[in-house]
Amino acid sequence: MNWKVLAAGALIVIPLVTVLAMGFGQDPRALPNVMEGRTAPQFHLSDLDGMQSYDLAELAGKPVVLNFWASWCVPCAQEHPWLIRTAQQYEPRGVVFLGVLYGDEAVNGKAFLKRNGHAFPTLLDPGGHSALDYGVAGVPETFVISPQGQIVHKFVGPIEPDLMTELLERML
Amino acid sequence: MISIIGRTAVLVALAACTVGAIAGIYGGARRSTEALRWARAMALIFAGAMTLAVGLMEYALLTHDFSVHYVSQVGSLSSPTWIAIVSLWSSLEGSILFWAFILGVYAVWQTWFTRSRYPEYASWALGITLAVGVFFTFLVAGTANPFTAVSPVPLDGPGPNPLLQNHILMVVHPPTLYLGYVGMTVPFAMGAAALLTGRISPSWSRAIRNAMLVPWGFLSFGIILGGWWSYDVLGWGGYWAWDPVENASLLPWLTATAFLHSAMLMERKEQLKGWSMTLLLSSFLLTILGTFMTRSGVFNSVHSFTQTPIGPVFLVFLAIVLIFSVMLLAARVDKLTPPEEGLNGPNSRDTFFLAQNLTFAALTFTVLLGTTWPLINEAVTGDRISVGEPYFNRWGIPLGFLLVFLMGVGPALPWGRAAGSTVVKRFLVPLGAAVLVVVGCLVFGVDKPWPVAVFAVSGMALVVSVQEMAAPGLARWRTKGGSLGRALVEGSVMTRRRQAGYIVHIGVICVAVGVAASSGWRLVKELTLMEGQTTTVGAYTLTYLGEATQKDSHRTSSIARIHVARGDEELGELDPRMNVYPTMGRPLPSPAVRSVPGEDLYLSLVQLEPGSKVVSLQVVIQPMVWWIWFGGVIMAAGTILAAWPSRRSAAALAGAPVSPPRAPGAAPQGPAPGTAAGVTASATAGATAGATASVTASATASAEVRS
Repeated sequence: MNWKVLAAGALIVIPLVTVLAMGFGQDPRALPNVMEGRTAPQFHLSDLDGMQSYDLAELAGKPVVLNFWASWCVPCAQEHPWLIRTAQQYEPRGVVFLGVLYGDEAVNGKAFLKRNGHAFPTLLDPGGHSALDYGVAGVPETFVISPQGQIVHKFVGPIEPDLMTELLERML
Repeated sequence: MISIIGRTAVLVALAACTVGAIAGIYGGARRSTEALRWARAMALIFAGAMTLAVGLMEYALLTHDFSVHYVSQVGSLSSPTWIAIVSLWSSLEGSILFWAFILGVYAVWQTWFTRSRYPEYASWALGITLAVGVFFTFLVAGTANPFTAVSPVPLDGPGPNPLLQNHILMVVHPPTLYLGYVGMTVPFAMGAAALLTGRISPSWSRAIRNAMLVPWGFLSFGIILGGWWSYDVLGWGGYWAWDPVENASLLPWLTATAFLHSAMLMERKEQLKGWSMTLLLSSFLLTILGTFMTRSGVFNSVHSFTQTPIGPVFLVFLAIVLIFSVMLLAARVDKLTPPEEGLNGPNSRDTFFLAQNLTFAALTFTVLLGTTWPLINEAVTGDRISVGEPYFNRWGIPLGFLLVFLMGVGPALPWGRAAGSTVVKRFLVPLGAAVLVVVGCLVFGVDKPWPVAVFAVSGMALVVSVQEMAAPGLARWRTKGGSLGRALVEGSVMTRRRQAGYIVHIGVICVAVGVAASSGWRLVKELTLMEGQTTTVGAYTLTYLGEATQKDSHRTSSIARIHVARGDEELGELDPRMNVYPTMGRPLPSPAVRSVPGEDLYLSLVQLEPGSKVVSLQVVIQPMVWWIWFGGVIMAAGTILAAWPSRRSAAALAGAPVSPPRAPGAAPQGPAPGTAAGVTASATAGATAGATASVTASATASAEVRS
């Protein structure tokens, strides 16, 4: 038995297997959420009809739910009824819900809302500048912003209605 | 019905494999030919049962039998036939089934080429191959069973992952890589057999090296195809992203390549045995690690299958093989001690083999560390980080460069010691070529340091390879006279394996040049065009002709028709598209590429709104990408040439008397014990650079020019 080889082998094998074993139970796709806890980037955007514009600064003091979506996105259609229900429940209590159309045309967005119903305004983001500011990697992504203007949580993919309720209750 | 027969076939395979593994290992330990016969029969049954299982699964996929679990997961009535066929390897369970099937094929191959030779090792080796088979068949029978019955039977399925449906290369890339990965089992088993018996005969080390060539060739080609797939499907204009799974395929390739070189010293001089065995065992371990990476869901990658239950099972297997390998190596490495003669001085090819091996090892370590670092870091600090291109490029580029450089220097040096003046003479032409390349680059205004350096050493390596390929023919021509062309052909035929090695080197040079040029001068531009509008990017003029739509059964494509011209030259139309698959929300871009040896024009759709008459494109212009794929083809050709069974070994296997080689002075195969291996009689000639070339006419293809 060559003890040097054995020791060298053990030195590689034990840490490697340990590290691999510790990798279980974590979701490698979870992106480190750099946005949470930061101040929400400002935006000044107008709605799909171009009739009214919204400015984050003017919404200070109210919790804001900012939902990036697109008409071509299947999970967006999936979460749409949940968003409507939550909005109907919390808008009367002072929460502002805003959609932002991502990588899509106003016409398609309107058609989608006509088809699926709507409860809150959707804004146009020409050039996707706001999406860039918020580090949106795909749709849907939903940001929950505190009355102080901090990003409290970011949903990647469809929102989880229970967690959303919990977050909003905490801020009200 | 298929579900039941399929499960039965897998269970038969599992039983045969288990019995075969036990018989093989028993036969190795007790030197029992009866046990070996059993192992061989079981290997055949294992392969037969797996073939039946794979055949049934393909039948179920083609007939859309959704009562079979796997078909209900990846099948779809709308899938075209070719997609139904390749769905076999599009998801976890099917790919493990396919894996076990390939292992069956390899087990039969191993049984065949050891059928009348290597009695000392054959039983051990087959036993170990089948033991690996037990694990994979166990996965198919248990944790990852694709044949589970589904009730109630669904009416339709989702079809495979759209990323995998998006390109025809999905037909060849995964099977090629699997053939590479799975095939590593055979040389691993043979190496382990050598360690278990405590001795490696030169003929066994040659057999191991040949057995390694096959999976190595598939792995090389598979990696290049993977780059090609990534380039043609993912739409970002690159072919290599240091993704964990790309790294996973590169790691065993690096150690296997190092082994193919160190094994030459092992076979020829009985040196570096312990080291070669380490590389050999590592290559297999790294393929298992690589499979673990793709299948466990621990790493984030475009390739990984999420949330699979087999991760822990796989880790246990990996741990067992790791411990077995380390123990085996530690127990036996001292028995393999090389003979007295050490390595030759710095002017010898031996030293450069060693340098090359160490560079490969360093590169392997660097890539392994970078790939696992996110996990290590998370385990230690709890923070998730990702290790990206900068790290890999910082270490990978210099080490890769060093490898190309060594490829240019090593082969020009003689085996054994050489006088300084000999060395100088031998390097005059190659160095001249390198200088010429640098001067040429500077004259034409090509002045980026790294690419130019790569071009220079590539030029040197190319000249050295061509010189070395011509050497046997030239030596023959000098001694025998006659026509030079004929002598070159004859010299090459007699030294097939050597020629094949240099052909692979030339393939690698093409890849190196392609990578250096395409990464050195990459032009990326995003632009938006109105219908009928024209713009110029680089030397190209692009005109947006309009959009088109194509509906297939499984997807809908929006196509942007772009007319391309360069100067006055009309280059036709390129049609990048966006494919929408019903199961994927996000549309997948499918780039259009014009690939010629000089330069690639790559158009990828960023946005195309139907009816809007506006298109947003990403344009990537990169020189010489074509050479990477071309180099891959050359490497594959070289490997086939090297691995092709020689007439002599085929004859020996068939039990036919071996006719003596025709050339005068050639020695019979097999070195006398105690002498440097492979020494053959020489048809000596004072070759150019003061080297004496000796050419063996032995058709074992082990012939080499020696000093």
